[in-house]
Amino acid sequence: MTHGTKGADRVFSVEGLARVEGEGSLHVHVSDGIVTDVALTIFEPPRFFEAMLVGRSYLEAPDITSRICGICPVAYQLSACGAIEDACGIAPDERIEALRRLLYCGEWIQSHALHIYLLHAPDFFGCTDAVELAERDRVAVARGLSLKKVGNHIMEVIGGRAIHPVNVKVGGFYRAPTRAELRALIDPLEQARDDALTTVKWVSSFDFPDVTGDYNFVALLGGDRYPIERGRVGSSGGFDVTLGEYDALVVEDHVARSTALQARINGKPYLTGPLARYALNAGRLPEIARDAARTAGLGSPCANPFKSIVVRAVELVFACDEALRLIAEYEPPEPPAMKLTPRESVGYGATEAPRGLLLHRYALDANGTIVSARIVPPTSQNQLTIEEDLRRVVEEGLQLSDADLTHRCEQAVRNHDPCISCAAHFLDLSVERM
Amino acid sequence: MSDVSHPSRVVVAGIGNEYRQDDGAGLAVARLVSSSSPEIGDVGPLGEPLDLLGRWDDADLAIVIDTVRSGAQSGTIRLIELRESDDPTEEAVSGATSTHGIGLIGVLRIARAINRAPHRVVVVAIEGSEFGLGVGLTPEVKRAVTDAAQQIIELLEEAA
Repeated sequence: MTHGTKGADRVFSVEGLARVEGEGSLHVHVSDGIVTDVALTIFEPPRFFEAMLVGRSYLEAPDITSRICGICPVAYQLSACGAIEDACGIAPDERIEALRRLLYCGEWIQSHALHIYLLHAPDFFGCTDAVELAERDRVAVARGLSLKKVGNHIMEVIGGRAIHPVNVKVGGFYRAPTRAELRALIDPLEQARDDALTTVKWVSSFDFPDVTGDYNFVALLGGDRYPIERGRVGSSGGFDVTLGEYDALVVEDHVARSTALQARINGKPYLTGPLARYALNAGRLPEIARDAARTAGLGSPCANPFKSIVVRAVELVFACDEALRLIAEYEPPEPPAMKLTPRESVGYGATEAPRGLLLHRYALDANGTIVSARIVPPTSQNQLTIEEDLRRVVEEGLQLSDADLTHRCEQAVRNHDPCISCAAHFLDLSVERM
Repeated sequence: MSDVSHPSRVVVAGIGNEYRQDDGAGLAVARLVSSSSPEIGDVGPLGEPLDLLGRWDDADLAIVIDTVRSGAQSGTIRLIELRESDDPTEEAVSGATSTHGIGLIGVLRIARAINRAPHRVVVVAIEGSEFGLGVGLTPEVKRAVTDAAQQIIELLEEAA
């Protein structure tokens, strides 16, 4: 981190953003009290996954794309499966879809617990990192790690292992877990649901900067339930479209400073992730999560990005409760996977990764070879909105010292839990006050 | 390998990626050691030290095996016991700020802060030379895997 003054100008730089997934930096330039430049730079090497998929079998897409991220591999696997199955003209069997949703609940639990407790909460205590927070609040960090462990355990039972699960395939699963295997998850999940409720109380007691964003929220729209693994795409701006229509709406541009693409809809930034999901789907949460949100004083929509940690905690309650419901209603799919016949076509798949909407599009030839691929990850979609948040935070925090303002900027980036590894396919802060 | 006497709860954890040649050495050693006794739990393979949390809790002895690149001769084996009185290096701690970089020292400090740390932690470091894409260990590292497993089993016998 560096900051300095050149005449009336102030410059803030963070050359290696901490507690975000991947590598990136942040640069802010303030001249005569006006923010003249904000740049979130992603310099993790681009991964060229989309090009790597071309020429590969349609059956390989879930395993190849799961390697994009170690935190949200299920998101990649299931968006890929959805898109390939769409291309083949197959809708998933209800029991397979329920098992996928349960697997995804595991990923939400481990990812949200990781972000809330180890990456985001230290900011609200003035701690440098999770180690310092653990030395200060042992009980809280132990609770977070217990939650993460339950999420990992769900992924191990259903996916075969927590990182890059191996049991997911196009059409369903290689093997469906038995009822007994899933019943063994009930006691830990009931404890996790209680811990998640405690998490909501804990994070809602934090001291939040009074900031309100002017967001165009974009998220999947759930049917009767909070969205995870499928749905149309909706926005607070008013659109409600199919995945194919959404694919056409999202325009991505490359800027020289970043190895991630930057997405716009109708030429404007937008936001995906917990704030967006909650804004568009709060009414679809189960009663226990709605109660927790009400008790926490969380309005809907919530446009204070610093309160995203509260929304994430409410989603943690939801994910634990939803996992328990799915286990109670579990019917092993038989067979565990549907048979697909490839055809020359284009398919779309989108799911709600913990940090936002993830869209895949594949074009197949008649033999099932992938001829083109498009992957639109959450962080690419959120990058411009994060820059807008930074501009707002700096403009409203110019009275702060350079060190405090730099810290506030880092926090503003972490509000959105960016996954640079996914997008670079990014973080350091530099603020210039001139 | 023969069954061995060992402390009441022993876990071994290999860290690495077996699709990056010598980086898979830790995983191979963990497999060999855990196969020597059904009472030794292999909690790997782990992609990063953070994954140790929740898996090594309250163990009497945790052995973490990883491939390193320090400039030593390929195949060199080092056994290092991490004691609480040891001052972690700045470099080791600074890695605690990113999920990509929470180092073993940071993870151990978190575990100690929440009273879930193993009683003893021993790191077994094997010097590697090839970390490019591909399966299989270089000959020096392959020999070191067998030697490291034997040294760990002897360590367990001494600790019993």
